[in-house]
Amino acid sequence: MRRKGTSEVVSPEGTKEKVFSYLEERFGLGRSLFDDYGLYMASKGRIYLGPRRVPDLPKIATIGLLVARVTGAVKPSTNLLQALGKQVTRNIVDATREQAIVYARGTDFKPDSSAVSGITDGYVLVRYEGASLGCGLLQKGMVKNMLPKAKRLELKFI
Amino acid sequence: MKIPDRFIERYGSLVDDKGAFLSCLGIMPPKSFRVNTLKSSAEEVARRFEGYGIGLKRVPWYGDAFICDNPEAGFSLEHFTGAIYMQELVSMLPPLLVRSELEKSRFVLDGCAAPGSKTTQIAAMMNNRGTLIANDVSYSRIRALKFNLEKAGVLNAVITNRDLNAFQNLRFETILLDAPCSSEGTIRKNYDVFDSWSESGIRQYSNVQKQLIVKAFDMLMPEGTLTYSTCTFAPEENEGVLQHLIDSRPEARLEKAAFEGLRTSETVASWNGVEFNEQIRNAARIWPHHNDTGGFFLAKVKK
Repeated sequence: MRRKGTSEVVSPEGTKEKVFSYLEERFGLGRSLFDDYGLYMASKGRIYLGPRRVPDLPKIATIGLLVARVTGAVKPSTNLLQALGKQVTRNIVDATREQAIVYARGTDFKPDSSAVSGITDGYVLVRYEGASLGCGLLQKGMVKNMLPKAKRLELKFI
Repeated sequence: MKIPDRFIERYGSLVDDKGAFLSCLGIMPPKSFRVNTLKSSAEEVARRFEGYGIGLKRVPWYGDAFICDNPEAGFSLEHFTGAIYMQELVSMLPPLLVRSELEKSRFVLDGCAAPGSKTTQIAAMMNNRGTLIANDVSYSRIRALKFNLEKAGVLNAVITNRDLNAFQNLRFETILLDAPCSSEGTIRKNYDVFDSWSESGIRQYSNVQKQLIVKAFDMLMPEGTLTYSTCTFAPEENEGVLQHLIDSRPEARLEKAAFEGLRTSETVASWNGVEFNEQIRNAARIWPHHNDTGGFFLAKVKK
């Protein structure tokens, strides 16, 4: 995590480009969405999207939102897809009610074939009735659950 | 629930209706939540909950807040996605008091932020723009703060883990100081408050609060706005702290703290032989039995 200075820092510069390109290509999240924000890099390839202006402060715990991990490939976070889900234009899996409950529980599910037609294997936004549930990994017709354990919930009202 | 005699002695004479006040303390407050406008709208949430068959009552003084008749609203899709935030009603007041300032501010400090209920509300009022410094001195509470900000989709926050007194001389347009306090106003939810309740504890909190409020005031830009709030009844932690600020920083000006549709009460004029400054009357007390909420105190201070 950057701790000094007042301008955004993602190093190496190529990582920033890689994240922006991925989000645009995979999810249609254009760069202009991020104009008012900065990308910040922490340990283990974690990338945060946060305010552009960050004062010089000691004991910074976190800047903004964890949006991706970059360890070779880019892995988007559920936080990002929940926060910007309404702007995502492609690679969306619309879950049924039962599938949404299964997803929120933290379990993998098999989407209907019509829900994944035209979607290539890779990370997807899982959505239910317009609500962005989070990130999944589409692989061989299954959506692998990418929901962090702390976010899992047994839904009673959906 | 056994209410300490000394507690009754202290506050029995300050409230308008001692019996209603004391009996209210034994009843849980209604469940409430706030719509996270970064992700949804009050209309959309109301429509969804109607579909669930859960009765909602819109809070008269805050269009984004609802009282909910089902204690399991936390198991809803909207809670899962961060479209709503379960939050006690009075806890929503400090950001609401400075809503117009927050909508314009680009550099804001939440001095005692964890677990983040007010911080997420501030971020929504700032529409995720500018920079919001969310600080808390307690390392163990930072995790909950981080989790809640992420769930709410907050992008403009920087979380810091410091003693506010050790902050360098930054200048903010708006500062919220929801100070650590003896938490008497949360008794309805947590009877344990009485287990550790003591007047010496109140005095200790008061000393901490006096330091914090002066530090927070010093970090305001000229024309900046500070809200000071506690969830306690103790005048030592409320009017007494504002008096200390006025004594230490005579340029501090208090503006009226009021909300259309919410019953607020007059502040205490004197306590333990100390007459409080006239300006302090602009602050507000919220007694639990008046609006069926927790107890609260808040003030709006301008530089």
